[in-house]
Amino acid sequence: MLAYIVRRFLLAVLTVWAISVLSFMIIHLPPGDYVTSYIASMSASGSAVSEGEALALRDQLGLDKPITIQYLKWVALILQGNFGMAMEWGRPVSDVIGDRLTLTIVISLAAIVFTWALALPIGIYSAVYRYSLLDYIFTFIGFIGLAIPGFMLALIIMYVAFAHFGANVGGLFSADFAEAPWSLAKAWDLTKHLPIPAIVLGISGTAQMIRIMRSNLLDELRKPYVMTARARGLSEYRVIMRYPVRVALNPFVSTIGYLLPYVVSGSIIVSLVLSLPTVGPLLLKALIAQDMFLAGTIVLLLGVMTVIGTFISDLLLMWVDPRIRLGRQ
Amino acid sequence: MKWVRVVFVLVALGILCTLTMWSGGGAAEAAMPADQQKTAKIGSSLIGKLEGPEILRDVKAYPKTFKEAPMLAEKVKAGKLPAVAKRLPEPSQLFVVKPLKETGKYGGNWRRAFTGPADHENANRINSADKILTFDYTGAKIIPCLARDWKVSDDGKTTTIFLRKGAKWSDGKPLTANDFMFWYEDIYLNKNIVPTPFFEFQIDGKDGKMKKIDDYTIAFEFPEPYAFFVYQLAGSTGIGAGFATRGGFQNFGGAYAPAHYLKQFLPKYSSEEAVNKKAKDLGFDNWVSLLKNRYSWALNNEVPVMTPWKTVSPINTPTWSMERNPYFWAVDNKGNQLPYIDKITLTLAENTEVANLRAIAGEYDIQERHMHLAKLPVFLENAKKGNYTVHLDPGFNGSDVAIHIGNAYEADPEISKLLKNKDFRHALALGIDRDQLNEAFWLGAGTAGSVAPSPDTIFSPGPEWNKKWAVLDLKQANELLDKLDLTKKDSEGYRLRTDGKGRLRLEMITVGGQFVPYTQVGEMVKQQWKKIGIDVDVKELERNLAFTRDNSNENQMITWANDGSEMLFLFPRHALPVDAAESHMGMAFAKWYASKGTAGKKPDDPELLRAYDLFRAAFGMKEEDRIKAAKELWKIIVEQTWSIGTVGQSPAFMGVRIVKNNMGNVPERQVNAQHARTPHSSMPITFFFK
Repeated sequence: MLAYIVRRFLLAVLTVWAISVLSFMIIHLPPGDYVTSYIASMSASGSAVSEGEALALRDQLGLDKPITIQYLKWVALILQGNFGMAMEWGRPVSDVIGDRLTLTIVISLAAIVFTWALALPIGIYSAVYRYSLLDYIFTFIGFIGLAIPGFMLALIIMYVAFAHFGANVGGLFSADFAEAPWSLAKAWDLTKHLPIPAIVLGISGTAQMIRIMRSNLLDELRKPYVMTARARGLSEYRVIMRYPVRVALNPFVSTIGYLLPYVVSGSIIVSLVLSLPTVGPLLLKALIAQDMFLAGTIVLLLGVMTVIGTFISDLLLMWVDPRIRLGRQ
Repeated sequence: MKWVRVVFVLVALGILCTLTMWSGGGAAEAAMPADQQKTAKIGSSLIGKLEGPEILRDVKAYPKTFKEAPMLAEKVKAGKLPAVAKRLPEPSQLFVVKPLKETGKYGGNWRRAFTGPADHENANRINSADKILTFDYTGAKIIPCLARDWKVSDDGKTTTIFLRKGAKWSDGKPLTANDFMFWYEDIYLNKNIVPTPFFEFQIDGKDGKMKKIDDYTIAFEFPEPYAFFVYQLAGSTGIGAGFATRGGFQNFGGAYAPAHYLKQFLPKYSSEEAVNKKAKDLGFDNWVSLLKNRYSWALNNEVPVMTPWKTVSPINTPTWSMERNPYFWAVDNKGNQLPYIDKITLTLAENTEVANLRAIAGEYDIQERHMHLAKLPVFLENAKKGNYTVHLDPGFNGSDVAIHIGNAYEADPEISKLLKNKDFRHALALGIDRDQLNEAFWLGAGTAGSVAPSPDTIFSPGPEWNKKWAVLDLKQANELLDKLDLTKKDSEGYRLRTDGKGRLRLEMITVGGQFVPYTQVGEMVKQQWKKIGIDVDVKELERNLAFTRDNSNENQMITWANDGSEMLFLFPRHALPVDAAESHMGMAFAKWYASKGTAGKKPDDPELLRAYDLFRAAFGMKEEDRIKAAKELWKIIVEQTWSIGTVGQSPAFMGVRIVKNNMGNVPERQVNAQHARTPHSSMPITFFFK
């Protein structure tokens, strides 16, 4: 068991290193650099950067150095616990991400809670009462949820909320609270803004989970042990919840690995459409601006989260499912 | 129960198809309003009278007693701030403004949108009153600003500026010639900070010098006549845009800087180790990075400024907010210290769609940046509900979508040869139906024409040049192409290449997600060029990639606005290939020009060489000769058609202004130009909440 964990840990370190190389290379793949992108973005908004300024900027940011040197410099910084300076933001990368991390986690957790709270009971119901009227209705809604892209749903909900309910559009705070220090009123303001992003972010996941839960449970319900349990006279609730549901939960546990990076980044496109101050839009803007320190750190963070997440789901699976645990011994 | 499933699947599919069609159709509809005629009329009726506040220059008319905002009066009472008369410059040295309509009321919080730390120009342009000189509300006349007056010597070699005695930084310390000399000696001449000298601080590649005459007088001296330098001081340039704006850009321009504050970050005043340690402690690589951060009014709320408002919550947080500078050196004609508005709050919109939607909901007080012309019908529809008025401010530049020809393009010899041929360029220009473009994409609010600026501007060579080679004439276009031996056509009616390699296929690069829908305009031009037998592939690229290809001369054509070109000498890069930082018309030539022949490639085109000579000479010319030169240059540019103009002089570029109905002193129409730092030219210091 310990040897297993150590081996997984070493592999994880290696993976993270590979991720760092890859993410750095990917950010350098597009033509140009931060300075060309800066000139273009200034030109697009009717301003100008002169040639001298461009040269000075490139010199100060070390962009004229070979890519290997830039990479080594970056890694050296990271090993010191310093993720560099976000070029566009003029602040340390850790501060820029840190600012948005809390809110990102709040939104993502809200979406996950929404997803699970809805998907699990509905999935179980749909499987147990297969082909009932409610099953069809849920399936129908589920397919719509799967088929409509999140950003489009976000646009529609946002327009309806604005046009018919006069709601504050986008963002997580009203203008009055955006700057205010944390208080009860501000928390309440956040709570009022939270449902729309949570629903939009959660809806496609919910649909997917309902389908997975339904089909997994259906597979299990057919198995002889369920019949045995029934024959033994266990209550229907106990028969279903105690055994087949537990087994059907396996896929959920193994997706925790993907959940962790999601919690940190949020959905990029939906966050952008809804103007949520999360890490997602930050990553997109950093990539467009070719801000390698910021983009590289976020990609690295996502990679690390995936690795940790996978590691945790492996452990959880061993804990939840005796078959895996015993099979290994 | 099987039939239930079949029915269910069918219904689901039906709904999905409708949804997809609906979403696809919506985009097409937005580009082409059904009732074009009606919208066109609405569009032009929203363009009001160009107006703005006047500044008083007669000292006798200056106010003698002064008033201040209640929020400052309280501080004075509490003993935290000196009295208003002590904070202002000497009475004869004031900046006195007669507001556009009425004396305003103090107070209020101006709400706006911004899109993140790269959007510093958003508030830089509101806060541009710390420019040394500036342009008045017409955008044509230079007026004093931070400097009280200026003088150009007869030989044009020296430009002298006179500062306002008693003007103070936002922390109460006086602004003197020493702040200019500090910038010049310790910032500008320090190669670690400014490695390459500013283009505008040089004449013909030779450096200018700054000299202190007395505590309130500064002279800029050049080895050769440089009469144009006064425009550099008034324009949006590295030397003239003001300390705040250049700091916002994270560049070390501005020609002056708060010496008393910045000295602590320079090695000269302590030691290299000390400043580097300070930088490291704060998470910066080295002292230059730290200085850059401390230099920026947008990032650093501690740096003293000369602007009407100073940052409270910096630009790299979700709200960029600012409050009034208690030491601002301007008053209205009744003696009220300006600005009227207490605070400005910019809230972050992660994308411009959200900013537009919030503006429609009436959540912004004045917003002209990021508002889309294509949404004009929706803006008008909701104007009453949102309690705002829509103003359109057309620009002066000839073309919001100019098809810039890659004059230095080489990759395909046949196409390169054609692009370098004036007749070919003329044929392309004559094959465009600009009125159709104007109706479809500008809602009729633009003006069809060449790349030449509006006839209202000083450099315009005359209205006939706005139409030259810029009207639809299929007959002449076809004749020109036939004369180039492009007579053979394929079965679809497209002309064939002369080297026998099939159809002549041009490539037009467009960039998506900008103020103007370049790609859609390009697609319509593609349809129009079919009539002259020219096939063009419209290729949308990511902005950075498009610019990088520009830099390596790989683009045959690229669509980009020619904004700023109306001030040909201040911002020539969209009119002529002369700037090595950005050039869509041949980077190799721009590099050759900028480096005086040591880099890049010399163009063969004798007309371009003639334009280069004239352009270079103009900087030393006296005003009237320079205007003549500009007119001559525009004639060459239009005649040679190095860029094809389509539709311009429109409000598409930051000219859709949403103004809440309770805002006072806001002009019906304001100049919409980079050099005028719109909306600074309308003096936001005089805006107020009724």
